[in-house]
Amino acid sequence: MAEVELRNVTRAFGEDVALDQVSMTVPDGAFVVLLGPTGAGKTTTLRMVSGLDLPDQGEVFIGGRPMVGLTPAQRNVAMVFQQYSLYPHMTVRENLAFPLKSPLLRTPPDIVNAKVMEVAETLQIAHKLDNKATALSGGEMQRVSIGRALVRNPEVFLMDEPLSSLDAKLRAELRIELKSIQADSGATLLYVTHDQIEAMTMATHVGVLDDGKLIQFGPPREIYENPVSIYAASRLGQPKINVLPADLFGHAPDRAVNIGLRPEQIRQGEGADSMVTRVEHLGDQTRLHLSFSNHDLVTVTDAHTTLKSGDIVKIRPENPFFFDASGARIH
Amino acid sequence: MSDTPIMRLAKATPPGIGRRVGGLSDRAIAWIFVAPSIALLLAVNIFPLIWTIRLSFTNFRVNRPNRDVEWIGLENYRDILTDSDTWLSTQATAHFLFWTIALQVLIGFTMAYLINKKFRGNDMWTTIIVFPMMLSPAVVGNFWTFLYQPQIGLFNYVVGFLTGADPSSFSMIGDVALAPWAIIIVDTWMWTPFVMLICLAGLRSIPDSIYEAAECDRASKWRQFWTITIPMILPFLMLAVLFRGIENFKMFDLVVQLTGGGPGSTTEVTSINLKREAFERWRTGYASAYAVILFVTVFGLASIYVKALNKVKDR
Repeated sequence: MAEVELRNVTRAFGEDVALDQVSMTVPDGAFVVLLGPTGAGKTTTLRMVSGLDLPDQGEVFIGGRPMVGLTPAQRNVAMVFQQYSLYPHMTVRENLAFPLKSPLLRTPPDIVNAKVMEVAETLQIAHKLDNKATALSGGEMQRVSIGRALVRNPEVFLMDEPLSSLDAKLRAELRIELKSIQADSGATLLYVTHDQIEAMTMATHVGVLDDGKLIQFGPPREIYENPVSIYAASRLGQPKINVLPADLFGHAPDRAVNIGLRPEQIRQGEGADSMVTRVEHLGDQTRLHLSFSNHDLVTVTDAHTTLKSGDIVKIRPENPFFFDASGARIH
Repeated sequence: MSDTPIMRLAKATPPGIGRRVGGLSDRAIAWIFVAPSIALLLAVNIFPLIWTIRLSFTNFRVNRPNRDVEWIGLENYRDILTDSDTWLSTQATAHFLFWTIALQVLIGFTMAYLINKKFRGNDMWTTIIVFPMMLSPAVVGNFWTFLYQPQIGLFNYVVGFLTGADPSSFSMIGDVALAPWAIIIVDTWMWTPFVMLICLAGLRSIPDSIYEAAECDRASKWRQFWTITIPMILPFLMLAVLFRGIENFKMFDLVVQLTGGGPGSTTEVTSINLKREAFERWRTGYASAYAVILFVTVFGLASIYVKALNKVKDR
């Protein structure tokens, strides 16, 4: 329950710059999703906040207090590790109770038990409490790892791809569960993922990272509707934004090199001819793969469409994004 | 449907590759490969063992091959178990075992813990520390007799320098109270690096991320040590104890080099006692019975111990 601020945080591992002058302010109680491919600096950002790793330059503040020289324990953060990091020689119960048994806290045993039970039930692992931590499936280990963070009441939760090895059904359930736990407790949560659905559904704010730089930071809706670059635009949206030569549909602004079209920015039934190359029926929607003057693009159409391969559809851009040679958005 | 690439591949594969080669079944071939090892084991391990057990019920003496051998039943066993020398040497062995294992595990673990910290040149230090282990016990025994020399020995000089006592006022090897410690010190000097290596392997098997998780869970270094390091390294420690225990139960070379069992019989561990019976008094039957008793003891203790070790591992 605290605001987290990174101010010009830079961290390099040898030649490799993992974080480059990253500044962001995570409001108290926000659910921040960090998006970006492997190596973008997402995990490093979490480690900076947790104190497991220290910035070369720049500062980290939690609740307005500078974190210089403070250990992870003193920062009162709870972290869920991507590789689970369970204590292998302990049972699930002992793993979950471990953070509560800190001599600092002096939590009475019956409260520890109640808390462990509550978290285990939320995460659907209550029946595995007396298993050894190593005698679990990947998904179960991941849930224990999440549980170990949830038993506590830290100022900040840090989660590194916590749902990545769960099956689709459980992932959807835990997405909702995590979101409501966070909303109820009012805790600040930093969350790393590759999954844009997680970003869109859970985040109050999304941070888009590319090669150690923070490209854009804001509510997911804003990043979706108002991306600063091709890169940021490509992070969100299913199907992905179509990036085409700027003048493909006629007039383009000066300096524009590419035009970016999300499905809803492609008006069907007007404009120039394009040919349907493939139709994917997904149930609630249908994806159309189109060929337009030798360029492929993907859009969405009515679920009950009768279109098939080889048909001709007229399309025209509507309020498209234009990007310059560097990929930056032109307004 | 039936002409997919996978189906084509399936059809092209001949049925039952390698079931029989040259008219031999897989099982027969397996036996042919294993047979030489089994023959060797039988010849050098199992046969002598059975022969020893047979001899232990006789009064056979290997220096009198022409004398008739009498079958005397359990007499050798009774004599050994009621002989006070046996119990004295058992005591000497137990004392020696306890202290060498305790010291080596304690010092070895501490050294492993310290050298596991990331610092410059720790690989080089590991190599240097491991040197004593690479030497021959005969060589080690020999030069420690020089170090223990009261007049010119470095050990006595250093002890004298540190305590202010006269270096020539005590003799590690000649003194009844000090002689057992003379052997314990040398064995510890020589084999602590071995325990350190095993502990180091154990410490390196604990991933950093576990300590990072504990760090976030607000466990102090002290608590991390007791709740993570120690339980996770325990199987390795127990393995080290097992190796050193079995090895030191039959300790022979260092004792022969340093004290030869003396002064009196203060350092006469069981293996020395056994050697006396077998090759000085030439009581082969008696010595065989002694060897069988030792074998059963070590084997029994080791099995109990291995069971405990497996329990710890499965925990």
